[in-house]
Amino acid sequence: MNASASGCWHCGEPLPPDALLAQVAGTPRAVCCNGCRAAAEWIDQLGLSDYYRLRSAPAERPEESASAQAWARPELARHAVRTLEDGRSEVCVLVEGLRCSACVWLIERSLGGVPGVASVQVNAAAQRARVVFDAERAALPQLLGSLERVGYRALPLDAAALDDARKRESQTAMKRLLVAGFGAMQAMMYASALYLGAFDAMDEVTRDLFRWLGLLVATPVVFYSAQPFFAGARRTLAARRLGMDVPVAIAIALIYVASVVEALRGGAEVYFDSVSMFVFFLLVGRYLEMRARHHAANLSDALARLTPVFADRVRADGTLERVGAAELQPGNHVHVAEGSAVPADGTLDSERCRVDEALLSGESAPVAKRRGDTLVAGSVVVDGPARLVVERVGTDTVLAGIVALVTRAQAERPRLAEAGERAATGFVARVLTLATLTAIGWSFFDPSRAFTATLAVLVVSCPCAFALAVPAALTRALGVLAKRGVLVVHADAIEQLAGATHAVFDKTGTLTEPDLALERIEPHGTLDRDGALALAAALARGSRHPASRAIAAALPDAALPDVTDLRAEAGGGLEGVIDGRRVRLGRADFALARDDVPASLDEAVVLADEAGVLAAFHLSERLRPGARAALDALAADGVALEIVSGDAPGKVAAVAERLGVTHWRARARPADKLARLTALRADGARVIAVGDGINDAPVLAGADVAVALAAGAELAQASSDVVLAGERLGALPEARAIARQALRILRQNQRWSLAYNLTVVPFGALGFVPPWLAALGMSLSSLVVVLNALRIGRRLEHAVEAPLAPAGADA
Amino acid sequence: MNILLVMIPLSILLLIGAGIAFFWAVDHDQFEDMETPRLLPLEDAPDTPPTGEPPP
Repeated sequence: MNASASGCWHCGEPLPPDALLAQVAGTPRAVCCNGCRAAAEWIDQLGLSDYYRLRSAPAERPEESASAQAWARPELARHAVRTLEDGRSEVCVLVEGLRCSACVWLIERSLGGVPGVASVQVNAAAQRARVVFDAERAALPQLLGSLERVGYRALPLDAAALDDARKRESQTAMKRLLVAGFGAMQAMMYASALYLGAFDAMDEVTRDLFRWLGLLVATPVVFYSAQPFFAGARRTLAARRLGMDVPVAIAIALIYVASVVEALRGGAEVYFDSVSMFVFFLLVGRYLEMRARHHAANLSDALARLTPVFADRVRADGTLERVGAAELQPGNHVHVAEGSAVPADGTLDSERCRVDEALLSGESAPVAKRRGDTLVAGSVVVDGPARLVVERVGTDTVLAGIVALVTRAQAERPRLAEAGERAATGFVARVLTLATLTAIGWSFFDPSRAFTATLAVLVVSCPCAFALAVPAALTRALGVLAKRGVLVVHADAIEQLAGATHAVFDKTGTLTEPDLALERIEPHGTLDRDGALALAAALARGSRHPASRAIAAALPDAALPDVTDLRAEAGGGLEGVIDGRRVRLGRADFALARDDVPASLDEAVVLADEAGVLAAFHLSERLRPGARAALDALAADGVALEIVSGDAPGKVAAVAERLGVTHWRARARPADKLARLTALRADGARVIAVGDGINDAPVLAGADVAVALAAGAELAQASSDVVLAGERLGALPEARAIARQALRILRQNQRWSLAYNLTVVPFGALGFVPPWLAALGMSLSSLVVVLNALRIGRRLEHAVEAPLAPAGADA
Repeated sequence: MNILLVMIPLSILLLIGAGIAFFWAVDHDQFEDMETPRLLPLEDAPDTPPTGEPPP
């Protein structure tokens, strides 16, 4: 990162004027705060300053927190720490701010140095660290504390919810795949000897030797690797349905049993190679699909971060005690500080407060609550403090319900894969019928050839290529997209992205940077520029509104006048008393407390006292880098573009003009946005909605495919189908190009494999295909399908630099 | 052709050996993370051994 030039050496945030200096590797480096200085110097003293060279994104700014200490409570630790068989303890933590592989390295080294830690495993893709430690010598708070010191917030995961199931599934699948692969390879070798021997008149003893060897290697393949097919077939048959597994299991069993019988009685042909390869190719398809599914599941863990881990429980005597959210019981009284999240569902016990319920409604405007109203876990108290009586905890909360919904949506298989599998199932069922017909036909005509012809039909028409066509293309597409920072949460999105005709963009935070910049100050009346800014900054300092942040950032650490009686009016602005004078900052009609405001102040942030306007602050929006190029590329691709924003018409028009977009709507509330999408879709359009995923979660849900820019709230990842990591808008046209190519190749694969199977089946049924040719055809057709899928994304491979390109080498 | 009687059992033994090695690797999480290990060779040897605690 170029942090040394423009921002804090550690976290990359803009430097305040009175920046601190940290000594890193003997060189003074500018840092933004004490936390960053401590983190940078500590990293250096550990001999870990290589981190700055290896990392590809700046670090999270360390926030001083006491939460690590709270993990010392045994009630809480019990949920997170698991005791292993050998007496050591294990904890799995979700590490926030784990952004690149250098972070992984840093975490491993810093945790590994804590006395008592036996092993540290960090998985960057899943943002998790698994630590095995000796509970006698190290304690959980100490581990979390050392993570916090290097700038990572860590959240221990519930021991019961460890991803053991996922891990076991993938390990078993890998083993089965390997056994099938080895078996298929060996069986093929012995079979080629047999095929060559058939031409050169091999003597019978050698022939039988090779047949028995084939049996030896094919047996573990059928009895171990093919187990999931038999188990699946049993399950679907028990449910009185006919899935893909049933015909596959029948075919495997039939070919294997027939070959064993042939080998025993010294018959004409054995098919151990075919059955092994059949299993192997089917398993490859399943494995690729499973990988894609696990990847999506890792994304949904982001939602888990919305639930607060701690709660401040009110004791009987009115004092507070910090406990884990999991320890709360219905009926407990809980204190929620301003700006923190509600730990459990409950009713408000204090007079009134306002909460941000974006996770329920997608609306970030705070909702006013009165005594007795319901608060849901995960929503944020905007002005408080609030006190509530707990009603539902843990898995009963609304948030847990949402998480369950998202998890279920992600466990569903993509429509394309299901359609592909249905087609394959129908195909296999027909092949089985055809094989039966062949057997019956030949038994009338020439019973001695009935068996070989039937087996040839089964082998030659094996739908391996057909079954691989969809997962191979989908997995490759997901992989290529992920490499360019496009995370596909719902695999269906690939299909929708490719077929979209319209794209609707939100403005603020999507086309423009989420942060505003203070462009100019226009003093009115007696105050000068600096005096006005000092007053405004003093008011704005505590607020998180983008406009307030822009004003406060203009005067970061100066000594500001004290504000008393500060109060915020949603949608209006801030009010407070400074030096005995009541001042207001915000929209002109709020600041002046009247409706007829001059048009020149319409779009400015106004500072006023009771006498009148003191100053007007003009804020400017910056377009996201690459926004114009991305929109042009989409337009050139035939996508109709539209901006629908909740902002004032003037601002929306200006942005639309700079981006060359002719259709725009301003002052649209979420309901208006949703109505616009519905209208577009009623006209037959297929719509991509692009937003930051916070204010427009329900709008995104109304589109054919929802795209969110990732630095938004974690919720964005849950409410959208596609996430653009690194907030790179340019990834969108690329993603669309890749999606279209993937779909084209997928269809090509399906058509091709179907054509192949339809051509060869009649020859097999008529007895023209010798078994070696059938086996060869089967593997070649599968190979063609996989190679074809690998073409996806090849053209773009070097066109654009990946979003997480190695950086930091210059730092 | 008698050499086959030596070579084939030998190849099968090798195969079983490779299979056992792979099973071991899978069980010991060698395939869990394909991202991190590629960075490890880039690191320089530390001047002082890490202690885990910030020096006073």
